Amino acid sequence: MARKMLKDEDMAVADGGSYDYDLFVIGAGSGGVRGSRTSASFGAKVAICELPFNPISSDWQGGHGGTCVIRGCVPKKIMVYGASFWGEFEDSKNFGWEINGDINFNWKKLLENKTQEIVRLNGVYQRILGNSGVTMIEGAGSLVDAHTVEVTKPDSSKQRYTAKHILIATGSRAQRVNIPGKELAITSDEALSLEEVPKRAIILGGGYIAVEFASIWKGMGAEVDLFYRKELPLRGFDDEMRAIVASNLQGRGIRLHPGTNLSELSKTADGIKVVTDKGQELIADVVLFATGRKPNSQRLNLEAAGVEIDQIGAIKVDEYSRTSIPNIWAVGDVTNRINLTPVALMEATCFSKTVFGGQPTKPDYRDVPCAVFSIPPLSVVGLSEQQALEEAKSDVLVYTSSFNPMKNSISKRQEKTIMKLVVDSETDRVLGASMCGPDAPEIIQGMAIALKCGATKAVFDSTVRGH
Amino acid sequence: MATAATLPSSCSSTFQTLSHTFSLRLPLRLGGSSFHHLTSLAAFPRLAHSPLLARHPISASAERNGSSSDGEYDYDLFTIGAGSGGVRASRFASTLYGARAAICEMPFATVASDDLGGVGGTCVLRGCVPKKLLVYGSKYSHEFKESHGFGWTYEADPKHDWSSLIGDKNTELQRLVGIYKSILNNSGVTLIEGHGKIVDPHTVSVDGKVYTAKNILIAVGGRPSMPNIPGIEHVIDSDVALDLPSKPEKIAIVGGGYIALEFAGIFNGLKSEVHVFIRQNKVLRGFDEEVRDFIAEQMSLRGITFHTEQSPQAISKSSDGLLSLQTNKETIGGFTHVMFATGRRPNTKNLGLDEVGVRMDKHGAIVVDEYSRTSVDSIWAVGDVTDRANLTPVALMEGGAFAKTVFGGESTKPDYRAVPSAVFSQPPIGQVGLSEEQAIEEYGDVDVYTANFRPLRATLSGLPDRVLMKLIVCASTNKVVGVHMCGEDAPEIIQGIAIAVKAGLTKQDFDATIGIHPTSAEEFVTMRNATRKVRRSTTDEVESKDMPVSTAQYSSIVVALSEGNTLREQHFCSDCLVEIRQLVNLLLHSQPENFMNAVIRMKNYGSLHYKKVAIVCDKYKDFADVLFGSLSNLNTKQNARKRSMDVLKRRLEDFS
Repeated sequence: MARKMLKDEDMAVADGGSYDYDLFVIGAGSGGVRGSRTSASFGAKVAICELPFNPISSDWQGGHGGTCVIRGCVPKKIMVYGASFWGEFEDSKNFGWEINGDINFNWKKLLENKTQEIVRLNGVYQRILGNSGVTMIEGAGSLVDAHTVEVTKPDSSKQRYTAKHILIATGSRAQRVNIPGKELAITSDEALSLEEVPKRAIILGGGYIAVEFASIWKGMGAEVDLFYRKELPLRGFDDEMRAIVASNLQGRGIRLHPGTNLSELSKTADGIKVVTDKGQELIADVVLFATGRKPNSQRLNLEAAGVEIDQIGAIKVDEYSRTSIPNIWAVGDVTNRINLTPVALMEATCFSKTVFGGQPTKPDYRDVPCAVFSIPPLSVVGLSEQQALEEAKSDVLVYTSSFNPMKNSISKRQEKTIMKLVVDSETDRVLGASMCGPDAPEIIQGMAIALKCGATKAVFDSTVRGH
Repeated sequence: MATAATLPSSCSSTFQTLSHTFSLRLPLRLGGSSFHHLTSLAAFPRLAHSPLLARHPISASAERNGSSSDGEYDYDLFTIGAGSGGVRASRFASTLYGARAAICEMPFATVASDDLGGVGGTCVLRGCVPKKLLVYGSKYSHEFKESHGFGWTYEADPKHDWSSLIGDKNTELQRLVGIYKSILNNSGVTLIEGHGKIVDPHTVSVDGKVYTAKNILIAVGGRPSMPNIPGIEHVIDSDVALDLPSKPEKIAIVGGGYIALEFAGIFNGLKSEVHVFIRQNKVLRGFDEEVRDFIAEQMSLRGITFHTEQSPQAISKSSDGLLSLQTNKETIGGFTHVMFATGRRPNTKNLGLDEVGVRMDKHGAIVVDEYSRTSVDSIWAVGDVTDRANLTPVALMEGGAFAKTVFGGESTKPDYRAVPSAVFSQPPIGQVGLSEEQAIEEYGDVDVYTANFRPLRATLSGLPDRVLMKLIVCASTNKVVGVHMCGEDAPEIIQGIAIAVKAGLTKQDFDATIGIHPTSAEEFVTMRNATRKVRRSTTDEVESKDMPVSTAQYSSIVVALSEGNTLREQHFCSDCLVEIRQLVNLLLHSQPENFMNAVIRMKNYGSLHYKKVAIVCDKYKDFADVLFGSLSNLNTKQNARKRSMDVLKRRLEDFS
């Protein structure tokens, strides 16, 4: 049924119709840019609207490139690089290097270079869109009806555009927990653009963002306290890997507070006073809430067209990213499926193929690899041991290898690298691979290809090693 | 526990454990379970029971078959040489298949000779391990440079203490030798110290003492070899270079192979002045051509001087103790050290091979069949002494296959397809499968996907580091037949990819995989459009989807350029005009081969002011696009020229 409908749509596109555009995209982040580019390459007439550029997002500010480029993956990775040098300096001493005198870290310089890079990327994204023939409109888009988008421009003027299809790709935003003094805390947006690097940082949250910022600030010389509700950070990941990450964080000097929540923040002369639910009191320069993200669906006036959202505000979509309204679609974080840049890209490509390419295509969420850029990083693909036990019909074989990387034999760093394969005993298929240690994300990428294609443990074994 | 856990992987980088050395984790974690780690030889996994199917754990003891224990011989297996291949074969023969095994090895020394060697062999003592440790140590200088762009500064420039690094390296080697010895001991393999010589097909004499064995395995490896030219006595080889008493101030490295490049990187990183002399016009013969160009350029940018097409003729020592190297083209002096990395030779002397009838080729390598059997039925050989693919993991594979064939009752050939390899140059190279040239020869029709980009780390550091990635796909089957990378983390990235190549996966399989963002490796799964499609059947090497710019249009551009009309209209400053004209001349009139050669390019075209050109191109982007577009389309039949332009274009992008 869906298929037939899609075919009809195709013909409508070919006709051109009476709309301003074949596709109007709201939000020029990873998903929106990909969706508009690929649609344009199928011959669709496309417009995209995005808020004016600002490193810290708000209802009225955003920028081409979206979270990934401006407030996520890219600046985060730059910070992780910057912070990793500290560990390298320490290690270098045992490799015979003498650094006499002080080592200084200039946060402002890093920030400047980071901003320069994201401004450059922001420009690259605009250029990509321009070269693809996509019309760029600056402002906040919202729905008027199923075929009309109203864009509020920076000068507050409003303009309406009609389109055969509308794609919502507005992403998500960091959210704060509701406790007294919450306004004193910052989110990851601000954390990537702080004026000064904090001396004492407190982080609330056990997810990957919390863990990454803990590593970043520690590497820049801060005292870091990390609070989370569960016994281990990184809920949803393999339990064994979670334990390793926790012990690595601790080994690098981050103080962990499992099973602990923050209950109140208040301002003092010395800094922000933080009270935990266990009655503990601490003082910090910066308190970061890394307590989840919320889909950016409020300001879109979705009710006007009848687009349904779930209780947390995520837009409900079917397997083809179609919302409850047949000509309105949504991809990326605003749909809260798997909130990763490459997944948004995949969803957007599938959307374009489905709607404008004449090939209905569902995104495939199997074996999506991901990485946590803690120092050292964690990377996984496929099932964790716990998931495998739940899902597999037969027994599960678990291969683990824990070793001291060669570099540590000289640097004397006490940090083991762990690799783990989860294998179906009946089929010999590798169900999951995970690794925590230097370069883990780079290494897991290749394995993800093998896993995706159902490689067996025998294939893994028969591969001769690089050495 | 920590020590024990390092054992199986101690001589590897992180990815070693991807293959069969995954250590056994027993269902019960015993206190001080190091013993189990020590003795875990094969990949016996921990069995995690599915909740519904509780079963007993699989027995961890292997079936013992194949090896007869008749008392006719002292041993079932006598191995000469306890390097990677020898240790692997004897361990597996003993623990997996119950063979009575002995192994002989010469006393430990960092520099090998006819009487000195050491348990662990080349890999552990004079190769992979010490080399990698020095690479780690020398890489820091690049990281110090990078760190500036990330906000780090030092009051004083970091200095390196060579002797401290060498001391720590030797401590580590001693530790590894100890570990290897205990691995053998724990595997029930008898270790005999001394020089082994074959007396007859079933007898080995070690320093006069005689041992009989049903099977003899030769795994004595190889040693550096040097040409016999005047002054060669002043020259050091890689063994010595890994254990010098002091750091070279200025070193000449002769050779263009991976050993030469790795040492060039090490000494350059430790701030020696490094000159590399190669006989050909490019480094790394046998590697993908594009990779060969790329690595030479990247290493040049890091400060290494290459002297191409130069053969060494003599070395002389002057009164101040400094060395001069004379080649067919020039004589350069002032070297504190001259190192030759001019190949390795199998260690087949003094083994009694001729007498017993083991055949060797003209280089002295032992000739073996597909099962590693020599011309004498009871004598086998694995590793570098057979000069097949001289890599530790290959020796391990051959050793493992040998044990399985002879003692496991399962004839097993080593599989040399898709063997990944790495060059730990700076930046490093990782590759698996065929080069573009090999693939074209083998398959004819080949699609090549390349990415050549400035990684995020370099955009921040401001250094001219780039990454080259390359996928080579057989056009008829769509199988990925070769993957190459040069850049940070290349060996680690290629290891994962090697599994996919080995599994015979297609380009579609790569495409279906989701990227890990942001990494370098994700580039391998996001290469959408082929850079070139090479077709045997057509004369067009390059298929271009763009509409070609007509010759007339093109001519008008050139005319406009040479007249300066267009430029003046757009208010170009006059010296930029010179740059543009230079650029066009370069692209149109130079020999593309010359331009492709990084060394020659640097010498001849160093005067081209990239930055100015870049400013112009950036400012008048549309114009630049037309220029490049027209040039690349004009030259569709000239692959090399197209490539050289790609190189230039990327260079320009660096500045914009």
